[in-house]
Amino acid sequence: MKKRLAIITVILCLAFPLAAFAGAALDAVKGNVDKVLDVLRDPSLKSESSKQIKKNKIRAIGDNMFDFTELSKRTLAVNWSKFTPEQQKEFISLYKDLLADTYADKIVAYTDEKIVFTKEVSLTEKTIEVQSTVIRKTQEVPIYYRVIKENGSWLVYDVVIEGVSLVNNYRTQFREILSNKPPTSLIETLKKKVGRA
Amino acid sequence: MKFAHSLILISVLMLCPDVLKAETPVTSADASAVTDAALVPEAQAPIDEIVIAQAEKSSDEQKATPVTEQAEGEYVPEEGEADAPQIADPLDPVNRVVYHFNDKLYFWGVKPVTQVYSHIVPEDFRFAIANVYDNLWAPSRIINNLLQLRLKAAGNELIRFVFNSFAGIGGMGDMANEALGIKKQEADFGQTLGHYGLGHGIYLVLPVYGPSSIREGIGLVGDQLMHPLTYVKSADLTFGQKVGISAHEKVNDTSFKIGDYESFKDAAIDPYVAMRDAFVQNRLKKVEESKK
Repeated sequence: MKKRLAIITVILCLAFPLAAFAGAALDAVKGNVDKVLDVLRDPSLKSESSKQIKKNKIRAIGDNMFDFTELSKRTLAVNWSKFTPEQQKEFISLYKDLLADTYADKIVAYTDEKIVFTKEVSLTEKTIEVQSTVIRKTQEVPIYYRVIKENGSWLVYDVVIEGVSLVNNYRTQFREILSNKPPTSLIETLKKKVGRA
Repeated sequence: MKFAHSLILISVLMLCPDVLKAETPVTSADASAVTDAALVPEAQAPIDEIVIAQAEKSSDEQKATPVTEQAEGEYVPEEGEADAPQIADPLDPVNRVVYHFNDKLYFWGVKPVTQVYSHIVPEDFRFAIANVYDNLWAPSRIINNLLQLRLKAAGNELIRFVFNSFAGIGGMGDMANEALGIKKQEADFGQTLGHYGLGHGIYLVLPVYGPSSIREGIGLVGDQLMHPLTYVKSADLTFGQKVGISAHEKVNDTSFKIGDYESFKDAAIDPYVAMRDAFVQNRLKKVEESKK
Protein backbone atom coordinates (compact mmCIF):
# COMPACT_ATOMS: atom_id res chain seq x y z
CA MET A 1 0.00 0.00 0.00
CA LYS A 2 2.81 2.40 0.96
CA LYS A 3 4.64 1.61 -2.23
CA ARG A 4 1.51 2.24 -4.24
CA LEU A 5 1.01 5.59 -2.56
CA ALA A 6 4.58 6.54 -3.39
CA ILE A 7 3.99 5.71 -7.04
CA ILE A 8 0.83 7.80 -7.05
CA THR A 9 2.70 10.71 -5.51
CA VAL A 10 5.38 10.52 -8.18
CA ILE A 11 2.76 10.38 -10.92
CA LEU A 12 0.92 13.32 -9.42
CA CYS A 13 4.12 15.34 -9.21
CA LEU A 14 4.76 14.61 -12.85
CA ALA A 15 1.23 15.57 -13.74
CA PHE A 16 1.09 18.96 -12.09
CA PRO A 17 3.85 20.75 -13.98
CA LEU A 18 2.00 19.71 -17.14
CA ALA A 19 -1.15 21.37 -15.90
CA ALA A 20 0.77 24.53 -15.05
CA PHE A 21 2.48 24.53 -18.43
CA ALA A 22 -0.86 24.43 -20.23
CA GLY A 23 -1.76 27.96 -19.14
CA ALA A 24 1.66 29.61 -19.42
CA ALA A 25 1.26 30.76 -23.01
CA LEU A 26 -2.17 32.24 -22.37
CA ASP A 27 -0.91 33.97 -19.23
CA ALA A 28 2.03 35.42 -21.14
CA VAL A 29 -0.14 36.89 -23.89
CA LYS A 30 -2.83 38.05 -21.50
CA GLY A 31 -0.25 39.67 -19.25
CA ASN A 32 1.08 41.74 -22.14
CA VAL A 33 -2.36 42.64 -23.44
CA ASP A 34 -3.37 43.76 -19.93
CA LYS A 35 -0.25 45.92 -19.78
CA VAL A 36 -1.25 47.57 -23.06
CA LEU A 37 -4.78 48.14 -21.74
CA ASP A 38 -3.37 49.66 -18.56
CA VAL A 39 -1.38 52.14 -20.64
CA LEU A 40 -4.41 52.95 -22.80
CA ARG A 41 -6.59 53.56 -19.77
CA ASP A 42 -4.04 55.34 -17.64
CA PRO A 43 -5.82 58.54 -16.53
CA SER A 44 -2.51 60.42 -16.24
CA LEU A 45 -1.94 59.80 -19.97
CA LYS A 46 -5.36 60.99 -21.07
CA SER A 47 -4.25 64.30 -22.61
CA GLU A 48 -3.51 64.69 -26.29
CA SER A 49 0.08 65.71 -25.53
CA SER A 50 0.91 62.41 -23.84
CA LYS A 51 -0.03 60.41 -26.96
CA GLN A 52 3.64 59.97 -27.84
CA ILE A 53 4.43 58.67 -24.33
CA LYS A 54 1.60 56.16 -24.74
CA LYS A 55 2.90 55.04 -28.12
CA ASN A 56 6.41 54.58 -26.76
CA LYS A 57 5.15 52.57 -23.81
CA ILE A 58 3.10 50.32 -26.09
CA ARG A 59 6.07 49.81 -28.39
CA ALA A 60 8.17 48.78 -25.41
CA ILE A 61 5.56 46.19 -24.40
CA GLY A 62 5.49 44.98 -28.01
CA ASP A 63 9.25 44.44 -27.94
CA ASN A 64 8.83 41.95 -25.11
CA MET A 65 5.69 40.40 -26.51
CA PHE A 66 6.70 39.57 -30.09
CA ASP A 67 9.46 37.52 -31.66
CA PHE A 68 10.17 39.74 -34.65
CA THR A 69 12.84 37.44 -36.07
CA GLU A 70 10.47 34.49 -36.11
CA LEU A 71 7.72 36.71 -37.50
CA SER A 72 10.01 37.91 -40.31
CA LYS A 73 11.21 34.41 -41.18
CA ARG A 74 7.72 33.06 -41.39
CA THR A 75 6.53 36.02 -43.43
CA LEU A 76 9.25 35.71 -46.04
CA ALA A 77 9.17 31.89 -45.87
CA VAL A 78 11.11 30.48 -48.84
CA ASN A 79 12.24 33.98 -49.80
CA TRP A 80 14.09 34.38 -46.46
CA SER A 81 17.16 32.62 -47.83
CA LYS A 82 17.35 35.07 -50.76
CA PHE A 83 18.23 37.81 -48.27
CA THR A 84 21.84 38.26 -47.09
CA PRO A 85 22.29 38.30 -43.29
CA GLU A 86 22.54 42.12 -43.41
CA GLN A 87 19.40 42.36 -45.49
CA GLN A 88 17.63 40.02 -43.10
CA LYS A 89 18.58 42.27 -40.20
CA GLU A 90 17.41 45.35 -42.03
CA PHE A 91 14.18 43.64 -43.03
CA ILE A 92 13.40 42.63 -39.44
CA SER A 93 13.96 46.17 -38.21
CA LEU A 94 11.82 47.73 -40.98
CA TYR A 95 9.05 45.16 -40.65
CA LYS A 96 8.95 45.79 -36.91
CA ASP A 97 8.63 49.54 -37.53
CA LEU A 98 5.85 48.95 -40.03
CA LEU A 99 3.87 46.85 -37.58
CA ALA A 100 4.51 49.31 -34.75
CA ASP A 101 3.45 52.27 -36.91
CA THR A 102 0.31 50.68 -38.16
CA TYR A 103 -0.89 48.64 -35.21
CA ALA A 104 0.62 49.97 -31.98
CA ASP A 105 -0.19 53.53 -32.98
CA LYS A 106 -3.72 52.65 -34.05
CA ILE A 107 -4.75 50.94 -30.83
CA VAL A 108 -4.14 54.19 -28.97
CA ALA A 109 -7.64 55.07 -30.19
CA TYR A 110 -9.23 52.03 -28.57
CA THR A 111 -10.15 52.16 -24.92
CA ASP A 112 -13.54 50.66 -24.20
CA GLU A 113 -13.24 47.29 -25.88
CA LYS A 114 -13.55 44.28 -23.65
CA ILE A 115 -11.13 41.43 -24.28
CA VAL A 116 -11.88 37.86 -23.27
CA PHE A 117 -9.24 35.16 -23.37
CA THR A 118 -10.83 31.80 -24.02
CA LYS A 119 -8.38 28.96 -24.55
CA GLU A 120 -5.14 27.55 -25.85
CA VAL A 121 -4.82 25.16 -28.74
CA SER A 122 -1.45 23.53 -29.32
CA LEU A 123 -0.26 23.72 -32.92
CA THR A 124 3.11 21.96 -32.79
CA GLU A 125 5.43 20.90 -29.97
CA LYS A 126 6.80 24.42 -29.67
CA THR A 127 3.85 26.51 -30.77
CA ILE A 128 0.48 27.30 -29.25
CA GLU A 129 -2.47 29.38 -30.35
CA VAL A 130 -3.92 31.59 -27.63
CA GLN A 131 -7.50 32.49 -28.51
CA SER A 132 -9.22 35.70 -27.48
CA THR A 133 -12.28 37.72 -28.45
CA VAL A 134 -12.53 41.47 -28.60
CA ILE A 135 -16.07 42.56 -27.84
CA ARG A 136 -17.06 45.66 -29.75
CA LYS A 137 -20.46 47.32 -29.70
CA THR A 138 -21.87 45.69 -32.82
CA GLN A 139 -19.65 42.66 -33.24
CA GLU A 140 -17.24 40.24 -31.62
CA VAL A 141 -13.83 39.93 -33.21
CA PRO A 142 -11.87 36.73 -32.64
CA ILE A 143 -8.15 37.45 -32.26
CA TYR A 144 -5.77 34.51 -31.98
CA TYR A 145 -2.15 34.92 -30.96
CA ARG A 146 0.26 32.25 -32.16
CA VAL A 147 3.16 31.92 -29.76
CA ILE A 148 6.44 30.06 -29.77
CA LYS A 149 8.60 29.13 -26.81
CA GLU A 150 11.94 30.94 -26.95
CA ASN A 151 14.36 30.62 -24.03
CA GLY A 152 11.60 29.76 -21.60
CA SER A 153 9.20 32.53 -22.54
CA TRP A 154 6.27 32.54 -24.92
CA LEU A 155 6.60 35.07 -27.74
CA VAL A 156 4.03 35.99 -30.37
CA TYR A 157 4.99 35.18 -33.97
CA ASP A 158 1.61 35.65 -35.67
CA VAL A 159 -1.72 37.31 -34.98
CA VAL A 160 -4.83 35.90 -36.60
CA ILE A 161 -7.83 38.26 -36.75
CA GLU A 162 -11.11 36.77 -37.97
CA GLY A 163 -9.18 34.00 -39.64
CA VAL A 164 -6.77 36.39 -41.34
CA SER A 165 -3.18 35.61 -40.40
CA LEU A 166 -0.96 38.68 -40.34
CA VAL A 167 2.02 36.62 -41.45
CA ASN A 168 0.13 35.04 -44.35
CA ASN A 169 -1.30 38.40 -45.42
CA TYR A 170 2.11 40.06 -45.61
CA ARG A 171 3.66 36.95 -47.13
CA THR A 172 1.23 37.15 -50.05
CA GLN A 173 1.99 40.85 -50.53
CA PHE A 174 5.77 40.45 -50.28
CA ARG A 175 5.79 37.40 -52.54
CA GLU A 176 4.24 39.43 -55.36
CA ILE A 177 7.04 41.99 -55.00
CA LEU A 178 9.81 39.38 -54.67
CA SER A 179 8.58 37.33 -57.61
CA ASN A 180 10.04 39.83 -60.06
CA LYS A 181 12.18 42.15 -57.94
CA PRO A 182 15.29 41.64 -55.75
CA PRO A 183 15.24 41.81 -51.92
CA THR A 184 16.73 45.34 -52.04
CA SER A 185 13.63 46.51 -53.83
CA LEU A 186 11.36 45.21 -51.05
CA ILE A 187 13.61 46.84 -48.45
CA GLU A 188 13.36 50.17 -50.33
CA THR A 189 9.58 49.86 -50.46
CA LEU A 190 9.46 49.22 -46.72
CA LYS A 191 11.79 52.15 -46.04
CA LYS A 192 9.46 54.47 -47.93
CA LYS A 193 6.46 53.06 -46.10
CA VAL A 194 7.89 53.68 -42.63
CA GLY A 195 9.44 56.99 -43.62
CA ARG A 196 13.08 55.98 -43.35
CA ALA A 197 13.95 56.56 -46.99
CA MET B 1 -8.07 0.50 -2.89
CA LYS B 2 -10.75 1.82 -5.15
CA PHE B 3 -9.66 5.30 -4.27
CA ALA B 4 -6.10 4.54 -5.22
CA HIS B 5 -7.27 3.09 -8.47
CA SER B 6 -9.18 6.20 -9.46
CA LEU B 7 -6.19 8.35 -8.51
CA ILE B 8 -4.01 6.38 -10.90
CA LEU B 9 -6.64 6.70 -13.58
CA ILE B 10 -6.78 10.47 -13.11
CA SER B 11 -2.98 10.68 -13.20
CA VAL B 12 -2.82 8.71 -16.40
CA LEU B 13 -5.46 10.91 -17.95
CA MET B 14 -3.51 14.00 -17.02
CA LEU B 15 -0.28 12.62 -18.37
CA CYS B 16 -1.76 11.68 -21.69
CA PRO B 17 -3.35 14.76 -23.17
CA ASP B 18 -4.29 12.66 -26.16
CA VAL B 19 -7.07 11.23 -24.10
CA LEU B 20 -8.42 14.70 -23.53
CA LYS B 21 -9.56 15.04 -27.07
CA ALA B 22 -12.89 16.65 -26.45
CA GLU B 23 -12.76 20.34 -26.97
CA THR B 24 -14.83 22.37 -24.60
CA PRO B 25 -15.13 25.92 -25.85
CA VAL B 26 -15.86 28.52 -23.26
CA THR B 27 -19.16 30.14 -23.95
CA SER B 28 -19.27 33.81 -23.28
CA ALA B 29 -22.21 33.14 -21.02
CA ASP B 30 -19.61 31.75 -18.67
CA ALA B 31 -19.23 34.99 -16.83
CA SER B 32 -16.25 33.76 -14.85
CA ALA B 33 -14.12 33.70 -17.98
CA VAL B 34 -14.94 37.29 -18.77
CA THR B 35 -12.45 39.74 -17.47
CA ASP B 36 -13.07 43.39 -17.88
CA ALA B 37 -9.55 44.64 -17.83
CA ALA B 38 -10.77 48.17 -17.25
CA LEU B 39 -12.24 47.34 -13.90
CA VAL B 40 -9.79 44.75 -12.72
CA PRO B 41 -6.56 45.15 -14.62
CA GLU B 42 -4.69 42.81 -12.32
CA ALA B 43 -7.34 40.15 -12.29
CA GLN B 44 -6.34 36.70 -13.35
CA ALA B 45 -8.78 35.22 -15.81
CA PRO B 46 -9.92 31.91 -14.45
CA ILE B 47 -8.96 29.48 -17.11
CA ASP B 48 -10.61 26.24 -16.40
CA GLU B 49 -11.05 25.27 -20.00
CA ILE B 50 -7.55 25.00 -21.34
CA VAL B 51 -7.43 22.17 -23.72
CA ILE B 52 -4.37 20.99 -25.47
CA ALA B 53 -6.21 19.86 -28.51
CA GLN B 54 -3.66 17.48 -29.85
CA ALA B 55 -6.39 15.86 -31.84
CA GLU B 56 -6.55 19.00 -33.93
CA LYS B 57 -3.02 18.69 -35.13
CA SER B 58 -3.03 18.07 -38.81
CA SER B 59 -0.57 15.56 -40.07
CA ASP B 60 1.18 18.43 -41.83
CA GLU B 61 1.80 20.25 -38.61
CA GLN B 62 3.11 17.16 -36.92
CA LYS B 63 5.76 16.85 -39.57
CA ALA B 64 6.73 20.46 -39.10
CA THR B 65 10.40 21.26 -38.87
CA PRO B 66 11.35 23.07 -35.68
CA VAL B 67 12.54 26.47 -36.77
CA THR B 68 15.39 26.98 -34.35
CA GLU B 69 17.14 23.87 -35.53
CA GLN B 70 17.66 25.50 -38.89
CA ALA B 71 20.90 27.34 -39.38
CA GLU B 72 20.53 31.10 -39.60
CA GLY B 73 19.45 32.14 -43.04
CA GLU B 74 18.31 28.71 -44.06
CA TYR B 75 14.75 28.95 -43.00
CA VAL B 76 12.57 26.21 -44.31
CA PRO B 77 8.92 27.04 -43.82
CA GLU B 78 6.85 24.63 -41.87
CA GLU B 79 4.84 22.35 -44.02
CA GLY B 80 1.24 23.30 -44.25
CA GLU B 81 2.00 26.96 -43.78
CA ALA B 82 4.24 27.31 -46.80
CA ASP B 83 1.37 28.61 -48.85
CA ALA B 84 -1.54 30.65 -47.68
CA PRO B 85 -4.81 29.85 -49.41
CA GLN B 86 -4.83 31.31 -52.89
CA ILE B 87 -7.45 32.39 -55.37
CA ALA B 88 -7.27 32.67 -59.15
CA ASP B 89 -7.39 36.30 -60.23
CA PRO B 90 -7.44 36.38 -64.02
CA LEU B 91 -9.49 39.57 -63.96
CA ASP B 92 -6.82 41.38 -61.94
CA PRO B 93 -6.77 44.52 -64.17
CA VAL B 94 -10.55 44.92 -64.09
CA ASN B 95 -10.72 44.06 -60.38
CA ARG B 96 -8.12 46.71 -59.60
CA VAL B 97 -10.18 49.34 -61.42
CA VAL B 98 -13.25 48.38 -59.40
CA TYR B 99 -11.14 48.30 -56.22
CA HIS B 100 -10.04 51.89 -56.87
CA PHE B 101 -13.61 52.89 -57.64
CA ASN B 102 -14.73 51.44 -54.28
CA ASP B 103 -11.84 53.14 -52.53
CA LYS B 104 -12.87 56.54 -53.91
CA LEU B 105 -16.53 55.78 -53.20
CA TYR B 106 -15.60 55.22 -49.57
CA PHE B 107 -13.44 58.30 -49.09
CA TRP B 108 -15.54 60.69 -51.19
CA GLY B 109 -19.02 59.28 -50.60
CA VAL B 110 -19.69 56.75 -47.88
CA LYS B 111 -17.32 58.17 -45.28
CA PRO B 112 -18.38 61.85 -45.38
CA VAL B 113 -22.06 60.88 -45.54
CA THR B 114 -21.57 58.51 -42.59
CA GLN B 115 -19.77 61.17 -40.58
CA VAL B 116 -22.65 63.64 -41.04
CA TYR B 117 -25.13 60.86 -40.27
CA SER B 118 -23.30 59.87 -37.06
CA HIS B 119 -23.29 63.51 -36.06
CA ILE B 120 -27.07 63.75 -36.38
CA VAL B 121 -28.15 60.30 -35.15
CA PRO B 122 -27.04 59.40 -31.60
CA GLU B 123 -25.12 56.17 -31.16
CA ASP B 124 -27.88 54.39 -29.23
CA PHE B 125 -30.32 54.98 -32.08
CA ARG B 126 -27.82 53.77 -34.64
CA PHE B 127 -27.26 50.71 -32.52
CA ALA B 128 -31.00 49.95 -32.42
CA ILE B 129 -31.26 50.51 -36.18
CA ALA B 130 -28.34 48.13 -36.75
CA ASN B 131 -30.18 45.50 -34.72
CA VAL B 132 -33.34 45.92 -36.77
CA TYR B 133 -31.42 45.50 -40.02
CA ASP B 134 -29.52 42.56 -38.60
CA ASN B 135 -32.74 40.91 -37.48
CA LEU B 136 -33.93 40.95 -41.10
CA TRP B 137 -30.97 38.74 -42.03
CA ALA B 138 -32.07 36.12 -39.49
CA PRO B 139 -34.13 34.12 -42.04
CA SER B 140 -30.99 33.77 -44.16
CA ARG B 141 -29.01 32.63 -41.11
CA ILE B 142 -31.71 30.13 -40.14
CA ILE B 143 -31.92 28.61 -43.63
CA ASN B 144 -28.16 28.48 -44.11
CA ASN B 145 -27.55 26.92 -40.71
CA LEU B 146 -30.16 24.31 -41.66
CA LEU B 147 -28.53 23.72 -45.04
CA GLN B 148 -25.19 23.23 -43.27
CA LEU B 149 -26.92 20.78 -40.91
CA ARG B 150 -26.05 22.95 -37.92
CA LEU B 151 -29.39 22.28 -36.36
CA LYS B 152 -28.69 23.75 -32.96
CA ALA B 153 -27.45 26.99 -34.50
CA ALA B 154 -30.52 27.09 -36.77
CA GLY B 155 -32.80 26.57 -33.76
CA ASN B 156 -31.02 29.31 -31.83
CA GLU B 157 -31.38 31.69 -34.75
CA LEU B 158 -35.08 30.86 -35.02
CA ILE B 159 -35.59 31.59 -31.32
CA ARG B 160 -33.59 34.81 -31.70
CA PHE B 161 -35.64 35.90 -34.71
CA VAL B 162 -38.98 35.33 -33.01
CA PHE B 163 -37.89 36.69 -29.65
CA ASN B 164 -36.12 39.77 -31.00
CA SER B 165 -38.94 40.57 -33.43
CA PHE B 166 -41.55 40.61 -30.67
CA ALA B 167 -39.84 41.24 -27.34
CA GLY B 168 -37.19 43.39 -29.00
CA ILE B 169 -39.80 45.43 -30.91
CA GLY B 170 -38.83 44.54 -34.44
CA GLY B 171 -35.34 43.71 -33.35
CA MET B 172 -34.32 47.10 -31.94
CA GLY B 173 -32.62 45.43 -29.03
CA ASP B 174 -30.78 42.15 -29.13
CA MET B 175 -33.00 40.86 -26.35
CA ALA B 176 -32.30 37.22 -27.14
CA ASN B 177 -28.65 37.80 -26.33
CA GLU B 178 -29.21 40.05 -23.33
CA ALA B 179 -32.11 38.21 -21.71
CA LEU B 180 -31.66 34.63 -22.89
CA GLY B 181 -27.94 34.58 -23.60
CA ILE B 182 -28.50 33.21 -27.10
CA LYS B 183 -25.84 34.51 -29.42
CA LYS B 184 -26.02 35.21 -33.10
CA GLN B 185 -25.08 32.19 -35.21
CA GLU B 186 -23.59 33.61 -38.39
CA ALA B 187 -24.24 31.71 -41.59
CA ASP B 188 -24.54 32.78 -45.21
CA PHE B 189 -25.14 31.13 -48.55
CA GLY B 190 -21.58 31.54 -49.87
CA GLN B 191 -20.46 29.64 -46.77
CA THR B 192 -23.08 26.96 -47.41
CA LEU B 193 -21.77 26.47 -50.95
CA GLY B 194 -18.23 26.24 -49.57
CA HIS B 195 -19.45 23.82 -46.92
CA TYR B 196 -20.44 21.41 -49.70
CA GLY B 197 -17.09 21.71 -51.39
CA LEU B 198 -17.69 24.39 -53.99
CA GLY B 199 -14.56 26.47 -54.64
CA HIS B 200 -14.38 30.22 -55.15
CA GLY B 201 -14.04 30.07 -58.91
CA ILE B 202 -12.27 33.37 -59.57
CA TYR B 203 -11.78 36.49 -57.51
CA LEU B 204 -14.15 39.36 -58.22
CA VAL B 205 -14.25 42.85 -56.80
CA LEU B 206 -17.87 43.94 -56.93
CA PRO B 207 -18.77 47.61 -57.22
CA VAL B 208 -19.90 49.05 -53.86
CA TYR B 209 -19.86 45.62 -52.16
CA GLY B 210 -16.14 44.89 -52.44
CA PRO B 211 -14.14 41.65 -52.43
CA SER B 212 -16.04 38.59 -53.65
CA SER B 213 -15.81 35.61 -55.99
CA ILE B 214 -18.08 33.62 -58.29
CA ARG B 215 -19.15 31.47 -55.34
CA GLU B 216 -19.60 34.38 -52.94
CA GLY B 217 -21.45 36.35 -55.65
CA ILE B 218 -23.94 33.51 -55.96
CA GLY B 219 -24.01 33.52 -52.17
CA LEU B 220 -24.99 37.19 -52.11
CA VAL B 221 -27.88 36.55 -54.52
CA GLY B 222 -28.96 33.56 -52.44
CA ASP B 223 -28.89 35.56 -49.21
CA GLN B 224 -30.84 38.37 -50.83
CA LEU B 225 -33.51 35.84 -51.85
CA MET B 226 -33.79 34.86 -48.17
CA HIS B 227 -34.22 38.51 -47.12
CA PRO B 228 -37.81 39.57 -46.29
CA LEU B 229 -37.44 42.90 -48.10
CA THR B 230 -37.08 41.03 -51.41
CA TYR B 231 -40.67 39.86 -51.04
CA VAL B 232 -42.23 43.23 -50.30
CA LYS B 233 -44.45 44.06 -53.28
CA SER B 234 -43.33 46.88 -55.54
CA ALA B 235 -46.65 48.59 -54.89
CA ASP B 236 -45.60 48.98 -51.26
CA LEU B 237 -41.93 49.76 -51.81
CA THR B 238 -40.44 50.79 -55.15
CA PHE B 239 -37.07 49.45 -56.27
CA GLY B 240 -35.60 52.89 -55.58
CA GLN B 241 -36.90 52.81 -52.03
CA LYS B 242 -35.42 49.36 -51.48
CA VAL B 243 -32.05 50.59 -52.71
CA GLY B 244 -32.40 53.54 -50.35
CA ILE B 245 -33.04 51.20 -47.43
CA SER B 246 -29.97 49.12 -48.34
CA ALA B 247 -27.89 52.29 -48.60
CA HIS B 248 -29.09 53.37 -45.18
CA GLU B 249 -28.22 49.95 -43.79
CA LYS B 250 -24.72 50.30 -45.24
CA VAL B 251 -24.22 53.83 -43.85
CA ASN B 252 -25.57 52.88 -40.44
CA ASP B 253 -23.30 49.83 -40.35
CA THR B 254 -20.28 51.85 -41.49
CA SER B 255 -20.87 54.36 -38.69
CA PHE B 256 -19.47 51.80 -36.23
CA LYS B 257 -16.50 50.99 -38.42
CA ILE B 258 -15.06 54.35 -39.45
CA GLY B 259 -11.32 53.98 -39.27
CA ASP B 260 -11.16 50.22 -39.90
CA TYR B 261 -10.62 50.49 -43.64
CA GLU B 262 -8.19 53.38 -43.14
CA SER B 263 -6.09 51.29 -40.71
CA PHE B 264 -6.18 48.32 -43.03
CA LYS B 265 -5.05 50.38 -46.00
CA ASP B 266 -2.38 52.08 -43.94
CA ALA B 267 -0.91 48.76 -42.85
CA ALA B 268 -0.78 47.29 -46.33
CA ILE B 269 2.08 47.45 -48.79
CA ASP B 270 -0.26 46.58 -51.66
CA PRO B 271 -3.84 47.12 -50.39
CA TYR B 272 -5.37 45.33 -53.38
CA VAL B 273 -3.38 42.13 -52.73
CA ALA B 274 -3.81 42.49 -48.95
CA MET B 275 -7.58 42.72 -49.31
CA ARG B 276 -7.78 39.78 -51.68
CA ASP B 277 -5.73 37.66 -49.31
CA ALA B 278 -7.73 38.74 -46.25
CA PHE B 279 -10.94 37.88 -48.10
CA VAL B 280 -9.73 34.39 -49.00
CA GLN B 281 -8.41 33.66 -45.49
CA ASN B 282 -11.54 34.97 -43.82
CA ARG B 283 -13.93 33.00 -46.04
CA LEU B 284 -11.87 29.85 -45.56
CA LYS B 285 -12.29 30.21 -41.81
CA LYS B 286 -16.06 30.65 -42.20
CA VAL B 287 -16.29 27.50 -44.31
CA GLU B 288 -14.16 25.56 -41.82
CA GLU B 289 -16.36 26.76 -38.97
CA SER B 290 -19.45 25.50 -40.80
CA LYS B 291 -17.99 22.01 -40.74
CA LYS B 292 -17.51 21.88 -36.97
